[in-house]
Amino acid sequence: MGQQIVLGQYVPGSSFLHSLDPRTKLISAILLMILSLSSMSAVSLSVLALVVLGLMLLSRLKIGLILRTIRPIMLLLLFAFLFNLFTGKGEIIFSYGFIVIREDGLVRAIKILVRLVLLVLSTSILITLTTTPILIADAIESLLSPLKRLRFPVHEISMMMSIALRFIPTLLDEMQKIMKAQSSRGADYDTGNALKRARGFVSILVPLFISSFRRADDLATAMEARCYRGGKNRTRLKVIKYSRLDLLFAAMMILTAVAVYALPIVFPGL
Amino acid sequence: MEARFECEIDKIETGVLLQDISFTYDLGLPQETKALSNINLEVRAGQHVAVLGHNGSGKSTLAHLINALLLPQEGNIVIFGREPSDDEAIWEIRCRSGMVFQNPDNQIIGTTLEEDVAFGPENLGLPQSELRQRVDFALEQVGLTELAQRPPHTLSGGQKQKLAIAGILAMEPSCLILDEATAMLDPASRNDFMDLVLRLRAERELTVINITHNMEEVLLADYIYVVHNGKIALHGTASDIFDQAELIRSMGLDVPVHIEIAGEIARLTGQPLQAAEAFSLVDAIQAVNCRLSDPPQARSGLTKNREAGQTFSPSTHDEFPERKTLVRVRGLSYTYNPDLEQSVKALSDLSLDIYEGEFLGIAGHSGSGKSTFIQHLNGLIRPEPGVVEVMGLDVSVKKNIRKVREHLGLLFQYPEQQLFEETVAADIAFGPKQMGLSPAEIELRVREAAELTGLEPALLDRSPFDLSGGQMRRVAIAGILAMKPDILVLDEPTAGLDPAGRDELLNYIQRLQEKGQTIVMISHDMDQLAGLCDRILVLKDGVKYLLGTPAEVFETEEAIVSAGLAMPRTKIFLEQLSKIDPSIRTDIFTPKEAARELYCHYQAGGEA
Repeated sequence: MGQQIVLGQYVPGSSFLHSLDPRTKLISAILLMILSLSSMSAVSLSVLALVVLGLMLLSRLKIGLILRTIRPIMLLLLFAFLFNLFTGKGEIIFSYGFIVIREDGLVRAIKILVRLVLLVLSTSILITLTTTPILIADAIESLLSPLKRLRFPVHEISMMMSIALRFIPTLLDEMQKIMKAQSSRGADYDTGNALKRARGFVSILVPLFISSFRRADDLATAMEARCYRGGKNRTRLKVIKYSRLDLLFAAMMILTAVAVYALPIVFPGL
Repeated sequence: MEARFECEIDKIETGVLLQDISFTYDLGLPQETKALSNINLEVRAGQHVAVLGHNGSGKSTLAHLINALLLPQEGNIVIFGREPSDDEAIWEIRCRSGMVFQNPDNQIIGTTLEEDVAFGPENLGLPQSELRQRVDFALEQVGLTELAQRPPHTLSGGQKQKLAIAGILAMEPSCLILDEATAMLDPASRNDFMDLVLRLRAERELTVINITHNMEEVLLADYIYVVHNGKIALHGTASDIFDQAELIRSMGLDVPVHIEIAGEIARLTGQPLQAAEAFSLVDAIQAVNCRLSDPPQARSGLTKNREAGQTFSPSTHDEFPERKTLVRVRGLSYTYNPDLEQSVKALSDLSLDIYEGEFLGIAGHSGSGKSTFIQHLNGLIRPEPGVVEVMGLDVSVKKNIRKVREHLGLLFQYPEQQLFEETVAADIAFGPKQMGLSPAEIELRVREAAELTGLEPALLDRSPFDLSGGQMRRVAIAGILAMKPDILVLDEPTAGLDPAGRDELLNYIQRLQEKGQTIVMISHDMDQLAGLCDRILVLKDGVKYLLGTPAEVFETEEAIVSAGLAMPRTKIFLEQLSKIDPSIRTDIFTPKEAARELYCHYQAGGEA
């Protein structure tokens, strides 16, 4: 009872970023991702860093909350940093025994670090923190809708995504319940060797699968009873709309892209 | 007969009409099962009809046919003037009637309440402005407007079923079909839900078809059909139906308590009940009173003396302090999400002893802390602060947990959902195997446990998933019993079973207790607790509110009502009678015993 399962990391709010069309945010996030992966010059990265800083302010979220999204990839960051640090040629700036750090290695390591951090921050600010999962699903449906002409099941895929989003908390609840029930019968999921533990999970997964199939069956009947006939002629309560704010934001993004690609040409030395 | 139906088709064009309907699942396949045969049924527009039947009687199939979710193989079906002959007609029928299903979770599609309500109208292809208007209206009608943006998994069971109604209302149907919609709700939410249905029916002139095995709901209907083994066994108004109480019971169904008492008195006095005489509680009291206060020749025919009444005086519980204490709970408190703003205090300062051989009932409104409490008993939740000791073992010590769980067997709600092995025997053996017993000992325990729960040896090699719901539940209980726990803790063991399955299960539980098994049982059914338990613990908002014998706990109605519970129905009946004759005992909790006591009381009174 009472235990709330928070899906994704959406933080409710009414900022400029929250109110943008999810399609704008999705495309912008993809654009920023490409930009941060493809640019290697310091000036481009600085521009991107400024833009991400601007997004942070626009989201009106607590800085700590945003920075926390880096935590899951800490290990990856560390690994990427160290890997680049010890490679490369050029002037040796530090050496101790077999540890040798060269200048271009250090620069590359820092740049890689900055690129990855910018990538994670821009996606989490634009997508996970300010957009509900269901809006993301809607945005994907809308962006993929041209594929309908090619008989690609766009509506079905988006319906599947939204049903999955709806049932994840329910199934998590159920999994906890089954674990408790089996623990009461003496099942032990914390000790024993890998094989024993893997067999223990059978006692959770089998009931979970069986109940999921039953739920799926019930849900299909309930959907039919409410006149569901697929995507044909279906209207939507919430239609995602493009506004002037989206145009403004898109313009800013295009400017960013231009700046990121043009500045290294203008200032090749940096 | 023919002519009668023909003219009625005209008259009831806007209702539901089924003529000679038969339906077989998997028709033509080896596993084909006949669900319904030669069903004739009619519902006028605006009528409230109850369809009554045990699990597997075919009543759900009937509901699916009325909503064109299934199509009959034989017979004619006309629903609001439409026959489900082609896709367009089926579509139209589904738009005209909405259905609330049994499991609240499995019918919610949207990720917020608002989106879920919109699902039906969206399928109808309505313009966006109309969608908005209908969604807002429907949510307002069921009182969920404030929660419109919430994700549905945060709702209670009762709220989820109201959401299902809102989703149907938004489609503006003519007919509401409830397919055991209240079976998984607690009594308070069930009453709330039925009040909503009745209000909507009156305001929006809805036809209501309620498929149920709950007797109190049946009494709300204008007309009743009783389905038994795929056939309509009886139909008529409530008084027509309950006139045949014996027949109803023989079909595995309940009879309302007041009708049962009145019927029993009628039998004892030899004055049969007249039709409609014992339909409402007031009528039943009247019927009983007039038979007893003026007993004619019957007295000489059936002589029973006052002593007979003494055999069911409530047993005295003075011996409790001498009994061995198996479970000791002291100062137990628990808060969910203590760090968050929405922290919920589930238990506060609870102290209690559970004695050897006793049957302790636990009652309380939803969210009163019942489930949280029993999860402390086997260490699923660590007590902090507070002490829980099972057989002298402190459950907060990690190395004790294993032993504690062998001593105290805990069975959750809907335990059939935890079965997973390939055979019944293997599933029952799961617990004993974890205890590290020898194969011979395990086999012996499996057989014993199967016998205690009435599972035939032939079932042991079958897959648990081939069994009926009631049988699966008994397999789950056997799985716990095979561990030979000193204390058996059951969380609503009869939830979702039909009356026959419920009575059967309670019988086995009662037999266990007679063999000296210590039992703790959570239940929402006060009649059940009052009839079975030695002591009852009533929780209210996580606090020990009442604790005592059934007679003590149910002494005052105000206390019970303020804990969000209802009085046992037998007790209500006796209280009403005692207003007429204050010398009547009111501390009896089963209808049969009450009838005997009343009969003896008046016999003695008449002779004195």
